[in-house]
Amino acid sequence: MTLWLTFVALGVLASLAGALWRVWRGPREADRMMAAQLVGTGGVGLLVVLAPLQDWAALDVALVLALLAALAAVGFVKARSDDGAGDPEEAPPTPEMMRPRQTRHDPRGRHG
Amino acid sequence: MRGIWIKAILHRTVLFGAIWGVLTAPGVEGLVAGLFAVPATVWLSLRLMPAHHPVALWRLALHLPRFLAGSVTGGIDVARRAFARDMPLNPGWVELPVDLPDGGRVALGGELSLMPGTLAAGSHEGRLLVHLLDTEAGFDRTIPREAADIAAILGAKRTRDGRP
Amino acid sequence: MADLATIALTAAGLFFFVAGTVGLIRFPDTFTRLHALTKADNLGLGFIALGIALQAETWAQVARLGLIWALALLAAGAMAQLVARTALEREDAE
Repeated sequence: MTLWLTFVALGVLASLAGALWRVWRGPREADRMMAAQLVGTGGVGLLVVLAPLQDWAALDVALVLALLAALAAVGFVKARSDDGAGDPEEAPPTPEMMRPRQTRHDPRGRHG
Repeated sequence: MRGIWIKAILHRTVLFGAIWGVLTAPGVEGLVAGLFAVPATVWLSLRLMPAHHPVALWRLALHLPRFLAGSVTGGIDVARRAFARDMPLNPGWVELPVDLPDGGRVALGGELSLMPGTLAAGSHEGRLLVHLLDTEAGFDRTIPREAADIAAILGAKRTRDGRP
Repeated sequence: MADLATIALTAAGLFFFVAGTVGLIRFPDTFTRLHALTKADNLGLGFIALGIALQAETWAQVARLGLIWALALLAAGAMAQLVARTALEREDAE
């Protein structure tokens, strides 16, 4: 069991590395933020996996990390809002953002 | 109105008390501190989020299996698309009018964000903005059902057509 | 028996974590990535927590795992909306 849990922990760690790639590449701030969010969730998952191997003390750390990961995103939204109050609905959405975008990944464009 | 507040105080005391119990679990001395911490938390939560609606906990419990099933389906759907070679995505937006009160709209948005193919992006002038992973997969068909469930949990009176 | 279930559940959890990351890397725009992240990751955490709960020695540990997952779910639901809405408002540097 120890071997398997270590393997799962390594797998979760590897998926965190993927998230760091997204933090690096962006391109938008929201992309970086959500990738950091994934690092938070993944970190919680990692601690939960390692908990049985370490006398379960890691569960408390996981709990605190789960709380802090949420606060990080709240901080991001507050920093981005004009008056600092953190209400993301204070400005109307920009219409061009709501246009469905054609991207190079669009499978219908490729096969259609 | 009074009844709503008493019910809210009761619900929140049980909720925060349970969380405190879990946090301090094996030790007993932690429970003493809880005698102060739990009421303080209830008071703070009532200040920050006043009780406007009678929350029907049994409806919430009834709703839970649907929510869990939905979030499992949602995860599988996303995983399938992420691993597919041609990555079948057809993203787009829908706006739909929702007559839920503000807290209900946030709850609906949070729930939709975990359900298959839908992602809420807040609301604008009473309309909920929902991003769809695939506009042709019919993900948005479930939204009225979710809204009805949350309205029932909050005991919110609804307009005939679900518009504000 | 419990060990087998733990292995199966944590494997499922790992699968969804990896799926979330693959989606985060492969999906074409901010909003689709947010879909991948929110849904897959929390499912992954849920499966892992469930699998580890089978190894728990006391009920307090099981309850704590439940609390961790509930917190993560609540946070994910709220965060997805906040980040989506913030991304909707401002077009920043590509």
